[in-house]
Amino acid sequence: MAIGVKVMKRPGSGVSYVRATLKGMALTFKHLLQPAVTMEYPEEKSTSEWRIATRWRGTHRMMTDEQGRSKCVACGLCPQVCPANCIKLVPGEDEDGNRYPLIYEIDEFRCVFCGYCQEVCPEEAIHVGVHYENSEYSRDRFVYDLERLSAQTHAVSTLWDPSDPRGQ
Amino acid sequence: MTDELVSVTVDGAVVQVPRGITIIEAAKHAGVLVPHYCYHPSLSSPAVCRMCLVHVEKMPKLVPACVTPVADGQVISVHAPAARKAREGVLEFLLINHPLDCPICDQAGECELQDFVFQEGQARTRYSEYAKRYNPVEDFGPDVLYVPNRCILCTRCVRFMEEMAEAPVLAVAERGDRAYIAIDPHHQLDHPWSGNVVDLCPVGSLVSRDFLHRARAWELDKSASICPGCTQGCNITIETRDEAVVRLRPRPNLEVNRHFMCDTGRLDYRWMNHGDRAEAPLVRDGDRLVAADWDAVVARLHLLVHDTTGPVVVLASGRASSESLGWLMRMLEARSTIAAMKVPIGDEAPLAGVPGLALRPERAANLAGGLMVGVRDAWADAIARVGSAGLVILHDVDLNDAEAAAIAGAGTLVHFATATDDRLPRADLILPVTMMAEEQGVYVNRDYRAQRYLPARTAPGMARPAWWAASRVWQRAGSERTVPTTTSEAFAALPAFGGLTHRDLGYGGRILDPAVVSR
Repeated sequence: MAIGVKVMKRPGSGVSYVRATLKGMALTFKHLLQPAVTMEYPEEKSTSEWRIATRWRGTHRMMTDEQGRSKCVACGLCPQVCPANCIKLVPGEDEDGNRYPLIYEIDEFRCVFCGYCQEVCPEEAIHVGVHYENSEYSRDRFVYDLERLSAQTHAVSTLWDPSDPRGQ
Repeated sequence: MTDELVSVTVDGAVVQVPRGITIIEAAKHAGVLVPHYCYHPSLSSPAVCRMCLVHVEKMPKLVPACVTPVADGQVISVHAPAARKAREGVLEFLLINHPLDCPICDQAGECELQDFVFQEGQARTRYSEYAKRYNPVEDFGPDVLYVPNRCILCTRCVRFMEEMAEAPVLAVAERGDRAYIAIDPHHQLDHPWSGNVVDLCPVGSLVSRDFLHRARAWELDKSASICPGCTQGCNITIETRDEAVVRLRPRPNLEVNRHFMCDTGRLDYRWMNHGDRAEAPLVRDGDRLVAADWDAVVARLHLLVHDTTGPVVVLASGRASSESLGWLMRMLEARSTIAAMKVPIGDEAPLAGVPGLALRPERAANLAGGLMVGVRDAWADAIARVGSAGLVILHDVDLNDAEAAAIAGAGTLVHFATATDDRLPRADLILPVTMMAEEQGVYVNRDYRAQRYLPARTAPGMARPAWWAASRVWQRAGSERTVPTTTSEAFAALPAFGGLTHRDLGYGGRILDPAVVSR
């Protein structure tokens, strides 16, 4: 033959699937009796074995002071340090002559969740959150304005601590 | 100071410097910046800040570089351990009462205290038991706020008002750590040049109310330019944020404006951010103006220049570049032309301490440039001739209602516009042109010093410099005419400037040859 085709000889008799099936089912039943390792998300969001890391960097949260105003003073460091250029900040001045953000918006789609904004913030105002459930029905809802950032209640990231690199 | 040179060694580098200059200036020749606060090249040196202490061999003590003249053979060490230690101590004292409000301070990013503390200060404070001194913010004048907590008492502002403005309304009040800059209670800081104290302040103690919270220093893009406000031609820097001009600051030119500019020029930038700009060329078609491309507009303008009869009236703005004015005149070289520039007249406001520096009454930056290229007629005469003119060419002028009414009734109107004018509905052609912040060009000041300015931001839409359009029209009038493609070529091609190029003008500008001027 021009293109060497090797013809295999098929087994004729003495072959059964029963043995293989029983082997497979044995494995299945063995696992039925063992404790479960999966987690029933979304009913269950953390277990004693697994929880989301405190260093997790998720969608942002703006911290507020006792009067409920954001702690941001519009210094401009977070838009400057942001590698994804996702923070829009326009500074202004309130009645008392304090500097505050007129506009503070974070585009969570552009954000790469590096956490530099939290690291650079001199007022400990902006934080990345320990949070991952961000679904929305429209894309524009992913631009978080100041009100929305301040209304977030989830925990905030501890970030990576160089003096405690393994998080112990 | 003589022409004689002495040889000094600064941090190991041997440099030849003029005899009699100070160590701080000699160090600049060697490329070494001696940290300093109270010293400023345009002001006297009181040597109060003690930041510029340097070590000089065979001198028993550290010497202040700002007041010590150099001597031949001196071996100066700016970064000797003793000098560094002294400056570290000075900075520690300054920081005892300096608030940690860099995040909300307007000066952050261009603050000399930040710079030098970062360069040679201590990382930690040893002074934490006591609260810092606190004084409330004070309103000094129309545009200047004083934040006493940030003040390091360099007294540059006091000396500027005393020596340059010769209106000594500022002084140091109290003593020791209670000292602050006080203003005469019967006066305000409203001298026409008082805005310079904000630039002089090395920290964020004197801040401009106009610029307050507008932008951070590191967000600004800076372009060298010339103030379009008056015939003085002060060198300025246009600072933009996101394509919007947010601040004008003086740029040193020792022969024109030293380190200063007046408040009128400083605060007159809002027109540069005008939003309602002409962006596409418009051609009249019956009752309507329709958008066209540049080729069509140039062809139409060529026909207008050639087919109309009667005199041509050119009405130009005092902010037009020499290139644009020169090429507009050249485009019309075959016609009899009445060309005038609108020169608003204001009050003169000299800066007493600098001879020859003043806010001039003629508020048109390029008045002399216009005279050189042939824009020589009186404005009132030109407006009076509009009615009988065959063609009126309007270049970006702020018209009052009477002038607009006169021009609206003119026969054929070509408008080189940065913004369309509703009062001129009968324009035959509207050509979108760049304004001075968007183009480069040359202004000639009252001393016939030609100075370049550079673009600070991009032009809107299809806008182009007026010289570009005018030169293309001129090209169509004859075969084998070559036209410039760059602003520098456009300048060099104008006979009024004797073949000088932009490069010949240099950074400080160049006083044009009187022979050329008279021609």
